[in-house]
Amino acid sequence: MTLILLVEDNDMNRDMLSRRLQRRQYNVSTASNGDIAVKKATLEKPDIILMDMELPVKDGWTASREIKDATDTPIIALTAHALSGDREKALAAGCDDYTTKPINFDHLVTMIEQLLIKKNS
Amino acid sequence: MENKLSHPSRPLWLPDAKKLIDHIDALHSPAEPTRRTSLDDDLQKLHTVGLKLNHFIQSVSRGTISDSRLVRHELRNLISATIGYSEFILEEMEPIADMALYNPLRKIVHLCHQLSNHDSHEEALSYAASPVPNTLGGTILIVDDQMESRDILKRYLQLNNAIVLEANTGTSMFSVLAEKEVDLILLDLILPEMDGDELLELLKQDEKLRAIPVIVVSGNKETDRVIRCIEAGAEDYLFKPFNPVLLQARIRAGVERKRWHNKELQYRKELERNQHFIRSVFGRYLSEDIVTRILENPEGLDLGGSQRKVTVLMADISGFSSIAEQLPPQRVVRLLNNYLGVMSDVVMQYGGTVDEFIGDAILAIFGAPTSNEDDSDRAVQAAIAMQKAMILINRQNREDQLPEIAMGVSVNTGLVVAGNIGSEKRAKYGIVGHTVNQTSRIGSHCEAGEILISEATHNDCQSSLVTGPAQSIQAKGILKAIKVYKLEKISAPTAQNSRTEASKPNVIG
Repeated sequence: MTLILLVEDNDMNRDMLSRRLQRRQYNVSTASNGDIAVKKATLEKPDIILMDMELPVKDGWTASREIKDATDTPIIALTAHALSGDREKALAAGCDDYTTKPINFDHLVTMIEQLLIKKNS
Repeated sequence: MENKLSHPSRPLWLPDAKKLIDHIDALHSPAEPTRRTSLDDDLQKLHTVGLKLNHFIQSVSRGTISDSRLVRHELRNLISATIGYSEFILEEMEPIADMALYNPLRKIVHLCHQLSNHDSHEEALSYAASPVPNTLGGTILIVDDQMESRDILKRYLQLNNAIVLEANTGTSMFSVLAEKEVDLILLDLILPEMDGDELLELLKQDEKLRAIPVIVVSGNKETDRVIRCIEAGAEDYLFKPFNPVLLQARIRAGVERKRWHNKELQYRKELERNQHFIRSVFGRYLSEDIVTRILENPEGLDLGGSQRKVTVLMADISGFSSIAEQLPPQRVVRLLNNYLGVMSDVVMQYGGTVDEFIGDAILAIFGAPTSNEDDSDRAVQAAIAMQKAMILINRQNREDQLPEIAMGVSVNTGLVVAGNIGSEKRAKYGIVGHTVNQTSRIGSHCEAGEILISEATHNDCQSSLVTGPAQSIQAKGILKAIKVYKLEKISAPTAQNSRTEASKPNVIG
């Protein structure tokens, strides 16, 4: 079963997203800051990572870069800002895809599935 | 609008947010509670989000949070959570039993989207109104049947100094295109009469209109059709509700591409005019350096027939007709173009002239229209280089998932008649004669990967060649047997112009 590492510091969204993902038959592991995210990414070897960019302790861009240095796990960046160059920053940090809040859940699931197919091919 | 923009503490979306809170509140005090605790749990969570939203709005109204980035971040997290929980409950509930919940929840999701749209429009406007110039320029045609959609797009584009034209159907699109020069088309996927994807196909079939970049605009549930549009030649796509910055970036890229295309066209026209004369005389079959040499010698223009000694090179793909039978026509052309392109370059690199492509066969001449004392040497060198180039070609073929191919090369030296052959309307510089026929016969005895050279070529070469033993070819229709050698390698190419006589290129006149 697919393991998703969900990195999100906002409690509501972490709870909501992890439950919705579980309902779609994904295993979900969570992290609430960038530091935990990097550790879990190497220890738990998730199939894919959903990463909020504005995180405490270590931000999402730094965490993504560190994870990408050590693994080739696909990362989808989640951010609240569409316009301020966050997308470019996320892609530059090695993220594979990008979506903005409010999250379109079906779109997110499609994105996850496409990256998983790409990863396994 | 100016006023509201300059007061970020009173954002445009505030009324939407207040309305949303009312709906969440109303939802949580139903006349009768649901019968299932799991739903009640999630409703409780949705209510908590509502409380947080309320608290947030009050902070924003009071000016406690004023940093626009922070406000946006928090707002979007709240909207995301509201949509998420609402959709979660909608997925979990039984539509009939929980009817009382269904419509109010749909309404909440709808209000969230509306709020989100207003929020992102406001963000876009703040960017558009920023002092950094965001000029797109260009003429952009919006094809959309909904006036509101056109108006929103038009507003953004005009803020960026673009000239905006509008069309509401495919028919009106084509009539606008017939009258005006357009740099970019924003094409809605769903239209009356004909849909965007069908119109796209028509556009791409039109010789003149196909250069105009098309950005397809659609709802995000139509991914499949968008992919088809991209395959059909759309430059890019955007989902509705569109992200204004993406819109800007994509439009800019499209307009830029069109500009480059226009420049390129203009440049190409000039070049064509300049080269028209040269090309009408020499076609594409002469190497750069020969064209220059002939142009420098006016007498070289007289390409009337003359008998001359040349070295003829012919190359054939082994078993080509059976390869071609197994591939669809476009793939055959791709295979051939790749092969012929590389080989022509090699021939020209060695100062040869590609006289003709006959299907998969290449006929190259060394020694006409200009002759040199090392014509046969260069022909032999070219033959070896061509065999080496097969590695490159097969690598490309593997990448293109085309079959690997092998080639035989035959080289022969002798007298031919060279000149402009044909009628007044269509003439072409070429060679005819016994030597050409002979070369073709040698070619038919050539194995894949082999180079066979005739005795005449062998004798004419100044370089020392390593060859196999002499073989005799008894060809049909040719009385004398032809003596040929299988060429292994060139052991010691001689220094250029080692002979004193005829060291200068001899241009025919």
